[in-house]
Amino acid sequence: MNGPFTYSELADLMKASAGISADPMEMEIRPEAEFGEFGLDSLGLIAVVSELEQRYGLPLGQDAEACKSPAQLVEFVNAQITSGV
Amino acid sequence: MSVAPVAITGIGVVAPNGHSTDVYWKATREGTLHLERISREGCADMPLAVAGLVQDFDPRLTVEEKFLVQTDRFTHFALAAADQALSDAALPDLPEFAVGVATASGSGGGEFGQRELQNLWGRGPGFVGPYQSIAWFYAASTGQVSIRGGFKGPCAVLADDEAGGLDAIAHGARSIRRGATAMVVGAAEAPIAPYSMVCQLGYRELSLAADPARAYLPFDSEACGFAPAEGGAMLVLENAEAARARGAAVRGLVAGHGQTFTGTRSWAESRHGLAAAIRIALSEAGAAPEEVDVVFADALAVPEADHAEVLAIADALGPHAGAVPVTAPKSGIGRAYCGGPVLDVASAVLAMEHGVVPPTPGVFAASHDIDLVTGGARRAEPRTALVLSRGLMGCNSALVIRRGEGRG
Repeated sequence: MNGPFTYSELADLMKASAGISADPMEMEIRPEAEFGEFGLDSLGLIAVVSELEQRYGLPLGQDAEACKSPAQLVEFVNAQITSGV
Repeated sequence: MSVAPVAITGIGVVAPNGHSTDVYWKATREGTLHLERISREGCADMPLAVAGLVQDFDPRLTVEEKFLVQTDRFTHFALAAADQALSDAALPDLPEFAVGVATASGSGGGEFGQRELQNLWGRGPGFVGPYQSIAWFYAASTGQVSIRGGFKGPCAVLADDEAGGLDAIAHGARSIRRGATAMVVGAAEAPIAPYSMVCQLGYRELSLAADPARAYLPFDSEACGFAPAEGGAMLVLENAEAARARGAAVRGLVAGHGQTFTGTRSWAESRHGLAAAIRIALSEAGAAPEEVDVVFADALAVPEADHAEVLAIADALGPHAGAVPVTAPKSGIGRAYCGGPVLDVASAVLAMEHGVVPPTPGVFAASHDIDLVTGGARRAEPRTALVLSRGLMGCNSALVIRRGEGRG
């Protein structure tokens, strides 16, 4: 699967992997908002990253799990996808 | 030496014969049979053929998806039952550390764990979700009920056999006596999944009967072991005076508890252990044997174990043993391991509220010298109930429940 990785995809993953309903628009317009504000805890983020790794066939590892906010994760994942090609 | 009784102010049930306390009680009072052939995927070709199944249960009706994705079915049951119990108790807003949780667990999250282990060996470590770290652990239900409710008071998990269901209630009562404002206590199990079922196949006490009507017949001459079940119950406990002061309905009182251990596979010996547990529980309740109005039996349906239980009741209650009604409603739904005796406590409270002793479904003639309630419910005015439980690994527990003032 190719990028770019969108906020909409992130919202779908958060729902599927962690049962969290977050508004993709809100995640996008509030780059400073951390995952906790959307209800996602650290275990939930690991579940999301694990699913992302399978989807893109890329090891994202601890750097992805260290992302504090949706904006950071989207930026990080897109950078990995681009550099990976 | 008696102790202050602790109030039961909330009851929640998820069982094969009902996903709410009201439906459960109606079926229990009627004595309808809810054992059935197991046809779930991966479960149908095992020697164990009959169980009590919680069918058409949709936890999404009450529990947020966030909690459901990270938990096993046994925790779904506990979360839903805890919700009911808390709604029943209608606790006021309480300080941060005022409420605790205590559950018991036998099977843990076997279905969730099996799925993730299959991913590990079938697809690789990257395919194991992070919730495997918490979901299959026997402590998951205490943890998730605590997290979801924001209950940061004394929390505990008991892993001591079926009897742990009663011990969790007693542990909660002790926490109340030590100052906790409220405790959410109980147990729920989900042992009918492939891996979990395989774990049980070594139990020689397990009934391998294929006919649901003949699979679990405690105290009957055709007793052939027990049928397992899913589900369980959760209760809310409070200091009795404090509960009355806030205007809560005291539905029942946890008055006394006794616990002993007699080792594995020694049912004859359980006679003495169970009798001792009963004596300790009565002493703690400050109750004479003659005060016991109904016994909810462990009722394993293994002849040697049933015989030992009858003798234990006789040893502990003396001449009164011949006069007290004994019942085993679980013969209609199976034994939900730790959840089983908690369901019996719920039944005991409901029996005292409604002035009726529910029957032992499927059993029509006890082959032992006890007054087993069979056929239909019996009108009575029980004020004190004795609930008994023995685990397959040798734990024996007795809990004395007194009648409360009811729901008014």
